[in-house]
This record gives sequence, structure tokens and C-alpha cells, in this order.
Amino acid sequence: MHELSMANAIVKTVLDVAEKNQAEEILDVTIEIGKLTMLNPEQLRFLLDVLKEDTLLEGAEIIIEEIPVEIKCRACGYTGSTTLDDSDHYLMIVKCPDCDERNLEILSGQECNVKNIRVEKPD
Amino acid sequence: MHKIADVEIQHDIMVANKKLAQRNQRILDKANVFSVDVLGAIGSGKTSLIEFLIKKFDEKVGVIAGDVISKFDAGRFQQYNIPVVGLNTGKECHLDAHLVEHAMEDMPLEDIDLLFIENVGNLICPVDFDLGSHMRMVVISVSEGDDTVEKHPLIFKDADLVVINKIDIADAVDVDAEKMVNDVKCLNPDVKVIKSSLKIGDGLNEIINAIKGFRDSIS
Repeated sequence: MHELSMANAIVKTVLDVAEKNQAEEILDVTIEIGKLTMLNPEQLRFLLDVLKEDTLLEGAEIIIEEIPVEIKCRACGYTGSTTLDDSDHYLMIVKCPDCDERNLEILSGQECNVKNIRVEKPD
Repeated sequence: MHKIADVEIQHDIMVANKKLAQRNQRILDKANVFSVDVLGAIGSGKTSLIEFLIKKFDEKVGVIAGDVISKFDAGRFQQYNIPVVGLNTGKECHLDAHLVEHAMEDMPLEDIDLLFIENVGNLICPVDFDLGSHMRMVVISVSEGDDTVEKHPLIFKDADLVVINKIDIADAVDVDAEKMVNDVKCLNPDVKVIKSSLKIGDGLNEIINAIKGFRDSIS
């Protein structure tokens, strides 16, 4: 259930930035979640909706974008996307789509990035 | 008058944890302490294995015992008269670099050579959080079923040592331990996988040698 600690960290990050920018209202927040993180976007959204009550975030739309998995094959050097199957988490990291080698480096897909916010502020 | 403004943030919480983890490792290196993050499922034998290692290592050992309520495991380690810091995670299902940083403040690093950090029993959440340890040892047991590795691939992908424990009861729970070994090798071809039993003594010297070997390989 580490969605709660992540949601707390996201809310804190956003409110700090909003305050520094003299925001009076936050219209939306965009968060990027890597497909390989152990975060469930729907659980994260639910917790953000709970935590944003009575804060500047209250009326903000939460936009969650997914970052795909990218691997580098340590054998043939292939760099790029990997075999994707939503029903099988295992396939993504198990072999190179080019040469079937199993020794892979994960380049992306492990992020939880607070990307940007859109705010309303005085002129 | 009001205006609408886009504010770029680009703050990756995973990266923030990673930076703290790197700082933890620098603190450990400065004190010449080699650290092992011990991860694994609930009941896989992490605490018992660390107790065994405390007794067998000649080096001075300290333990950070992380758990939802840490006093049970911390109490077990304290009977060996070594430095122990219990780390209550409360509602959290994993340790993170920030919690470990604070636990390290209470650990007399100058008095120890080897630090075990026992993570919360969980094969999912700890994957996302590097603690700054030098080595990640994953401990699972046959009683979790021989599809455990397939169901939790990521924790095995980055492991430096995998222990498949309680092999003495593999037949009783109808589990093929060799399948578990092969599943780990499929994800992480170079990792050392050791089948062990604290009950009958299998694989235990191998675990000690693997930890020492890994420490020597990075020093």
C-alpha cells in the first residue's frame, strides 16, 4: 500500500510549488507513472482525491500518464520497447525482443514523476 | 486580474529516494560498513537467517530491523548483544532511504563492519525503494509456492543473491524448488541462487561465502 506514501509526497511537492508561485487555485496536475513501478494508478488517484480535500488542490484534475518500459539488451545492444502483455508482468523484463537474451538493463518504466501543474494566479 | 500559468515541476519521487539512498551508501562507505538489504516474503525466514549470520560472521554486525511493528524482530536480535535499531514503519509496507537514514543515526556505525537491514516482509513494495545498501539479498521459501518468482519478477531482477529457504519441507508442500531456481535464473542470469534450510543446515555456508564474495567483488 505504498500508494499512500507516494500520494502524500506528490501532494506535498505540488502544494510547495503552488505556494512558491502564489497560485490561488490549481487547475490540474500531471503525474507520470512508469509501467514497471509497483504503483496502481487507480489506487493512487483515489488517494490523491482523498488527500486533496481542503487544500489548493481540491478542484484540480489529476492527470496520470503512463511511461512505457524501455530496455537495453546487454548482449546485442538493442535499445527500445520490450514485449508488452498487460496480463503478464513477467514478459516485459524477461527477454530481448531482438535476440531473446535475458540479460537486460531497464532504462525506463520505474518513474513516479510530478511533471507539471496548471495554476491560476494574480497578474 | 488573474492569469493561468503552466508550472513545470519534474520532480521524480523515485529519483529523490535514489539520491537519499546514494547518500546513505556514502555514509556507510565512510564508516567502512558493508550493508545488506534483506528482502523477502512474510515468514520466509529472514529474521532466523539474520540470527544465524550474526552468530557465524566474525565481523562486528549491526541490524536495522524494519517492520510494521519492529519490536518483535528487534528483540530477537538484541539477545546477541549487538547494536540493533528497530524501525517501525507503521502503516507502510516497505522501508525507504529516508527511514533508513534516520535509523543509521541511531546505529554506532564506527563500531560495526557489517549491517543487515531487514526489510518489511513483502515481495512487491520494497522493489521501488533503494535503501543505499551495497547488496540486496532476497529470501523466499518453498512454502510460498513454486510460482512465487514468476508472480513477483521485479524483486528478483535486481537481486544480488537469492535464497530459497526451507527446502527440507519442499516435498511436504509439493513444491519443485528447482523450478524456483530456474525462474530466478531466467530473470537474472548471473545472480547466485542458494537453496537452504536452517533446520537441516543446507546451503548456509554458501550464503556466508556469497555475502563475503560479493563484498570482496565491490571493495
